[in-house]
Amino acid sequence: MTRGSLFLRKALWALVTILVVITFNFFLFRVLPGDPAKAGIKDPRLSPEMVATLQERYGLDKPVLFNTGEGGLFDSQYFRYLGALAHGDLGTSYAYKNQPVSSLLGSALVNTLWLVLPADILAIILGVLLGLVAAWRRGTKLDVSALMFALFTWALPTFFLGILLLFFGSHYLGLPTGGRVTIGLDQGFWATAGDILRHLLLPTLTFALVLLGEYMLIMRSSVVEVFSEDYILTAKAKGLTTFQIIRRHAFRNAMLPLVTLIALNLGFTVSGAIQVETVFSWPGLGKLTVDAVAQRDYPLLQGAFLMLAISVVLANLAAELVYLRLDPRVTEA
Amino acid sequence: MRNRTVAVLLGLVLALAACGDDGAEEPTTTATTAPTAVEGGTVRIGWGGAPSSLNPGLGELTEDYSIYELTYNTPITLDLDGNYVGELAEDWSVSDDGLTWTMHLVEGATFHDGTPLTSADVKYTLELYRDCADWCVYMSSYFDGDEVIEAPNPATVTIAKSVPTGSFEGRMVFMYILPQHIWEGVDPGTFDNAAMIGSGSFKLVEHRQGEYVRLAANEEYWEGAPIVDEVIFQTYENADARVQALINGDVDMVTEFPATAIPTLEANENITVATGEPLAPDLADIIFNVTDPANCPAEDGVCSGHPALRDRQVRLALAHATDKQQLINTLLLGLGTPGIAIVPTGLGIWFNDTIVDYAFDLTEANRILDEAGYLDTDGNGIRECPAAMDCGDRAELSFRMNFPDDSDTGPRLAQTLADWWEQVGIEIQIQVLDPDTLTSVCCPSLDYDVILWGWGSDPDPGFLLSALTCDEIPTGLSESGYCNPDYDELFAAQAVETDLETRIGMIHEMQQILWEDLPYIIPYCALSSEAYRNDRFVGWVDTATKLALEDPSSLNVIRPAG
Repeated sequence: MTRGSLFLRKALWALVTILVVITFNFFLFRVLPGDPAKAGIKDPRLSPEMVATLQERYGLDKPVLFNTGEGGLFDSQYFRYLGALAHGDLGTSYAYKNQPVSSLLGSALVNTLWLVLPADILAIILGVLLGLVAAWRRGTKLDVSALMFALFTWALPTFFLGILLLFFGSHYLGLPTGGRVTIGLDQGFWATAGDILRHLLLPTLTFALVLLGEYMLIMRSSVVEVFSEDYILTAKAKGLTTFQIIRRHAFRNAMLPLVTLIALNLGFTVSGAIQVETVFSWPGLGKLTVDAVAQRDYPLLQGAFLMLAISVVLANLAAELVYLRLDPRVTEA
Repeated sequence: MRNRTVAVLLGLVLALAACGDDGAEEPTTTATTAPTAVEGGTVRIGWGGAPSSLNPGLGELTEDYSIYELTYNTPITLDLDGNYVGELAEDWSVSDDGLTWTMHLVEGATFHDGTPLTSADVKYTLELYRDCADWCVYMSSYFDGDEVIEAPNPATVTIAKSVPTGSFEGRMVFMYILPQHIWEGVDPGTFDNAAMIGSGSFKLVEHRQGEYVRLAANEEYWEGAPIVDEVIFQTYENADARVQALINGDVDMVTEFPATAIPTLEANENITVATGEPLAPDLADIIFNVTDPANCPAEDGVCSGHPALRDRQVRLALAHATDKQQLINTLLLGLGTPGIAIVPTGLGIWFNDTIVDYAFDLTEANRILDEAGYLDTDGNGIRECPAAMDCGDRAELSFRMNFPDDSDTGPRLAQTLADWWEQVGIEIQIQVLDPDTLTSVCCPSLDYDVILWGWGSDPDPGFLLSALTCDEIPTGLSESGYCNPDYDELFAAQAVETDLETRIGMIHEMQQILWEDLPYIIPYCALSSEAYRNDRFVGWVDTATKLALEDPSSLNVIRPAG
């Protein structure tokens, strides 16, 4: 099978997965105990007429799957949802009155990317370096302390690490305790940029520390494995320097499991760093999703889940592509 | 001007002090941690939530109403001691037949865009709210629908009704008067009201959903401009971070924090902790399913409550086996007051404070149950129904107890009650439910034994009291299935009683009835605590009955310290 057709097949599967997820998401919220109609309309003071009006506004007066009554078979909640989705309309939030879900998700996504991407990059770079060094110096004190550090930060509950860093960072370094920017600073572009960076520091550090351990451990174990291969011995015999061996032979072969992990983590980027965002009051997707759960904002949750699903599927697709590039054997699979 | 100079000096001192702590930190960036002092007159408030809508018809969160209070005016308002006082209404009166209310408006009130506020705006707004049932959340519930509103001259508004109402003042306190010239051109149900033109003491500058709300003083405010320049409400979702923000000086005041943080905050000499009744009083309740099978809702009713709970003696024994003060001490660290009936203590005049509550006495509770014939015949530690009583297959006094999973105090409250009640021979099976599921077992299906839940209250007790009338059993507003014709008669009478003293008497009597009949045990009404930096701003109103430092009553009068 050629690489091109392999890619096409993978992409097709990704599309099918997304379609299944859309359907699953839709019905998930409708089989749960509790009525989404009542969740959006929960005030006992509302008159029955008002409940009816609201149900009509949210389209909840229609049957869920097929409309066997008037209006045609496909005039149902599910097909209306699909139709709206095709136009990029994710519906209207219950909790944030009259605001389209897509615009709520959009602005939160931007904030989340600001926080999560630098943290991801930092964690990948530091984790990979630490893993390489630990593997190369296997069994030394350096290896043991790097390993301990990685295991410790990986095992530490995120919110706990966040609170600790918040206390120390704000008390000893004068860093802000939360939020994205000092409101009302109004001191021009550079001051604002500096201010945002100061706000970013603690949450990014927290998230990077949490992610770092995993990268380090995976990198270390796969490099250790590669180092035991015969071709490394050959490379050593050829007289290559340590750096050359790592760069040309060890690193590239150890990359495969790492790519999987990076793709998975990047895919989950849009779920936001729920705990970090909550501790540092960062107005990102994680916080929005948690709020949506708390307020039983089903349209918003549905939209957030959809976005998460799509990004995980796309990230996996991207990982497949990178595999194709990294490992010629993949085409035969 | 003098204040500003002092503030700048203070800012420099703070910046230098911070440099001393950590030489690597740049003075300019450190200064931003004390922005209030540098900018002068910007009050930063940290709170846990965020407004959901700037449109007063659509708001349903406390945070929404805090912002409306600052940006809009209402005809009548409630002062922090619980008295109704005029805001836009200079005075108000009711005709002898109790049907027509007349309000005279203050002079000089203008909207933020400079347009004068007249009786036409009041008439427009009240009519909008009266008829908003198909789009608004709460507003239409403050009307009966029969109101005819007139504006005979620019300073007078009359409201004519076909039946009298006893809660006129209470209905007016949430009537945020909107500018007719803006609202009549839009669809109010979908209007986002992003400019928020009102007549209040503060104007909206910027709102970022879920992040912050920035308000500026209305220099033209008809009652005199606030002293501070700006107020910023910033959302700190995590309570510990909120407390740390205050200690750090990132904010000047925090509206809510866990009671466990109080000792830490009080230890800081620059921080003052204040405690009082919340602006919107609430209560915790222990609800018993007392539904008589004859009153079971025909359509949705399951009515599976334990038959023994319909016996007042059982509920009386449980009341004697509930130590309210102990619950307040452990659950709220002392920050609460024991409740009596469904009227929160924070409602002031409406709360019947003459009732002497049932004493906590497990021996007495056991005696009551023994006497009523509930004996432990099989010796397993759980009492059984008397032989004469038809308890079906639920002979043992074993009750299900549900509480919502979003309650902080729920788990501990449930466990403590279960421990006490076990000592009087009653078994409790605790089950946590999410609020939607809880609603579906609660009402109108009445498919439970005991629920631990709570209510927030309007300034007027009418709505909460209506939840115990027979008429509300099929609607689902009644949680207990309680039905007492004497109570209903009083409820109907107070609703149309326009004399305040008479109505207070009736409402006190209703609480007496509820306290005796015990469809609910009200373990406590929580107090609220807020804390502020006394080195930043002074003049916070923190000694009134109610505590609301985020209310205009404080924000209009505070001034920079120094």
